[in-house]
Amino acid sequence: MLANPIRNAADMPDIAFVKPVLPRSGTLVLPLPEAEADRSAGLFAEADQATGGALARALEAAGFKGRKGQVTTLWAPGGGFGKIVAVGLGKPAELGPEAAEAAGGATVPALAQDREAVVAADALPAALAASFGMGALLRAWRFDRYRTREKEEDKPKLERLAIAAAEPNAAKQAFAPMRAVADGVFLTRELVSEPPNILHPVEFAERCRGLEKLGVEVEILGPREMKRLGFGALLGVAQGSAVEPRMVVMQWKGAPKSRKAGAVAAKPIAFIGKGVTFDTGGISIKPAAGMEDMKWDMAGAGTVVGLMAALAGRRAKCDVVGLIGLVENMPSGTAQRPGDVVTSYSGQTIEVINTDAEGRLVLADVLWYCQERFAPRCMIDLATLTGAIIVALGHEHAGLFSNDDDLAQRIIAAGRAVGEQAWRMPLSDAYDKQIRSDIADMKNVGGRPGGSITAAQFIQRFVNTKAGPMPWAHLDIAGTAWSSKDQPTVPKGATAYGVRMLDRLVAEMGEA
Amino acid sequence: MLKPRFIRGAPATARPRLWLMAEGAAPPEPAREAAMAAAFAAAPATLLDVPGVARSALLGLGTPGRRLDWERAGAAAAQHLVELPELGVDARGIAPEQAAWLVAGMALGAWRFTAHRRRDVERTLDRVVVSVDDPGAARAAWEPVSAAVRGCLLARDLVAEPANVLTTRRFAKRLEGLAEFGIHVDVWGRKRLTRAGFGALLAVGAGSASPPRLAVLRWRGSHAAPPIAFVGKGLVFDTGGLSIKAAAGMEAMRADMAGAAACAGAMLALALRRSPAPAVAVLAIAENATGADAYRPGDVLRTASGRTVEVVDTDAEGRLVLADALHHAVTAFRPRAVVDLATLTGAIISALGHHRAGLFGCDAALEAALAAAGEATGECLWPMPIGARHREDLRSDIADIRQCVPAGGAGWAGRFKPDASHAAAFLREFAGDLPWAHLDIAGVDTAERPHALGPAGPTGFGVRLLDRLVATHCEAEP
Repeated sequence: MLANPIRNAADMPDIAFVKPVLPRSGTLVLPLPEAEADRSAGLFAEADQATGGALARALEAAGFKGRKGQVTTLWAPGGGFGKIVAVGLGKPAELGPEAAEAAGGATVPALAQDREAVVAADALPAALAASFGMGALLRAWRFDRYRTREKEEDKPKLERLAIAAAEPNAAKQAFAPMRAVADGVFLTRELVSEPPNILHPVEFAERCRGLEKLGVEVEILGPREMKRLGFGALLGVAQGSAVEPRMVVMQWKGAPKSRKAGAVAAKPIAFIGKGVTFDTGGISIKPAAGMEDMKWDMAGAGTVVGLMAALAGRRAKCDVVGLIGLVENMPSGTAQRPGDVVTSYSGQTIEVINTDAEGRLVLADVLWYCQERFAPRCMIDLATLTGAIIVALGHEHAGLFSNDDDLAQRIIAAGRAVGEQAWRMPLSDAYDKQIRSDIADMKNVGGRPGGSITAAQFIQRFVNTKAGPMPWAHLDIAGTAWSSKDQPTVPKGATAYGVRMLDRLVAEMGEA
Repeated sequence: MLKPRFIRGAPATARPRLWLMAEGAAPPEPAREAAMAAAFAAAPATLLDVPGVARSALLGLGTPGRRLDWERAGAAAAQHLVELPELGVDARGIAPEQAAWLVAGMALGAWRFTAHRRRDVERTLDRVVVSVDDPGAARAAWEPVSAAVRGCLLARDLVAEPANVLTTRRFAKRLEGLAEFGIHVDVWGRKRLTRAGFGALLAVGAGSASPPRLAVLRWRGSHAAPPIAFVGKGLVFDTGGLSIKAAAGMEAMRADMAGAAACAGAMLALALRRSPAPAVAVLAIAENATGADAYRPGDVLRTASGRTVEVVDTDAEGRLVLADALHHAVTAFRPRAVVDLATLTGAIISALGHHRAGLFGCDAALEAALAAAGEATGECLWPMPIGARHREDLRSDIADIRQCVPAGGAGWAGRFKPDASHAAAFLREFAGDLPWAHLDIAGVDTAERPHALGPAGPTGFGVRLLDRLVATHCEAEP
């Protein structure tokens, strides 16, 4: 059951693009903008006519205004339809991919009991019709692998969403890369949702092998290799667990090969993910309440894997490497202690003050390895790193730390374009002083004040700028990786925050 | 405050002296031997003791450019030599403004709060004789520069005062004293607050034997233009009320009026340097105490704006008093912009630590101007978000808005609340449609250790920043 790492596409509804012809029965979805748009022609007019004007009257009576995400369901409205679902697109001036996706997403809960539905998207440009489909697809995902007794009526039935577009071929073309990105999102959500007894470091690494089918080169390093390299920081975290740690190196070589002899390949863009498959806190153990959430302390790594799947799935024309450090942080007789001093792969020593600040220890070694081996053009790490970032920003923005203004701007812009927001946070020597140690080169916590910043300062000590600039960004996704409530295109639970943003970033930085 | 006297000619040799040295420059003659022996590099704000009859030192300047560099150098020198009663400074060869900035730094660095010491009162440097090329020009430069320093030191003095001394009444009295500088001061008592419907400020102050006050300070300036408004949180002591704080560290809550003190200090600075820009400060003064009349979690308050607020936590009182003060500032004066300062949340300390204050707002130009003024004065800010979700979190089941989000929540993340952003989202509701910014200064109002511009204790954060904001953005002819 767990062998196939890429979720079987058959589980998800099929999103099809068809000619703008009004169906004569079944379920019809009508995406409608706010304000009085011209509805005198097109599928809305036809549907209204088919229902003898009941459609327009019913929407009026139901108070449907077309506000973004507003959904109104009309049962047996006539004209042969079983039901019509009207969904708001918001203000016409603000109608873009995000509004179209949100409308697509908002439609899905209203279609839970339908096997098929037709969307009258003839008034939308092809790209937005595709976005509507993307939104629906993203929202339709659910994680039901461990439900063995679910009642038939509780299961969503939607198998096919046919989007009737003015230019179905153009919409289909626009949708193809979105579909690949959606598959990446689903892979991430699945990895993040998996319970920690199933998805431990060894299993996680094995699942990464599934990316080979897409053309990604996958290497897995175990504790022996890491010990030889000198990954003292990562191995220190792992030593309390019965499960061995892993580091997975994924390479996607999509850049067009230069035919000229002696041409130097462009440097890859690198992504690094924190993959603590379960974080008890170690000897500095966490309070019991809410500890079950620590299964998603590998969301940074899960996001990197989903991102690699998205890039490979859409054959991105860029070289990208993804590296993840996989460990389980457990208390035991062999566990690391507060007070231990470890030597990282970079040679810098670290005094471990709090074993629950383990993510930065894992990242330290993986980041250094990434630079030694790939000398990337830039690197971005993702980690569910600190609770303090939730205190700082809440759940709408991830914390963005960077030593490079241009890279930071690009990340913020890419995120804004896909609805995954990031907020820049400061770095400076004054904060760095908080992690000075009396016995080693640094300590792994800097106290409560500016807790996310001192964590970022720690990571920055493993960004090697000796040989020249190394643009680096760190995304603290502790507040955005998991959602306690449904959002338009993200069901409650694992969000896969970052996959779409970074896919977009690669498209704009590496493929433009 | 330290008093400078600007003279022509070299400092007297029998008294303690201070020489200046820029990076890469030759050391001044009297300190040459010591500088060579110690390989003194004149790094910014570093000092080298120079042996001699009287205690003397050489001050490294680095390569000073900005006003702040000179201030930091002066402050370092004053802190190093603070126990001297008098000092001769050889500032010949530098511009008059630079000499003034250096002395400003010395005044900030030499400040000590000794009002409540009866024994072993530490001496502090209070007279400096500054040798300059043109004493007249130096005096002229010092005049406006000293204004912000005095404002800053007023704020520090107010913040340092214990809560049994600086009660709400005495705080208001101290503010009334500012009238001598041409500031119009109007203090509202309970009756007037009740009549005007300041339900939030009254509720927060209800548990205390010292009644709440609203102090309105006006500096008319000379421009016929709308004023800039400063709004300050002035909790002379914050026990937390019924949602009482933990005992450890509660003594620091005497500084919970640092926002109001900073606003008052800024007004003094503007008045002392006769700023042409009109300004108004609205300060909400109260003591958050426990008592039979104290307000309760669950209470619903009617604010001056008419909006009702559900109280969730009586220790989130700052935003309540600010709600009424903001509303008054916005409606009574129609200001060009409103900036509020408050030691508002512990969350901002988790977010930004002690090196930057949180900057929230709804006007990019105002925020950029504030951030620039902060960098220039070393009172650094960092922009923080007010998201749609932060506002949604404040929906109340019973009132128009709730004041904060209850503790607890689902899962691991439920333990962490973006309370600084919640507070800002709350305040935004009371700022009307004017350009508004909110500075959460909870992490920067008091320094645990000596800092670049002064000793451990109150920093006066915000005064020099606001003074600079007005100087750079509000003083052009309308």
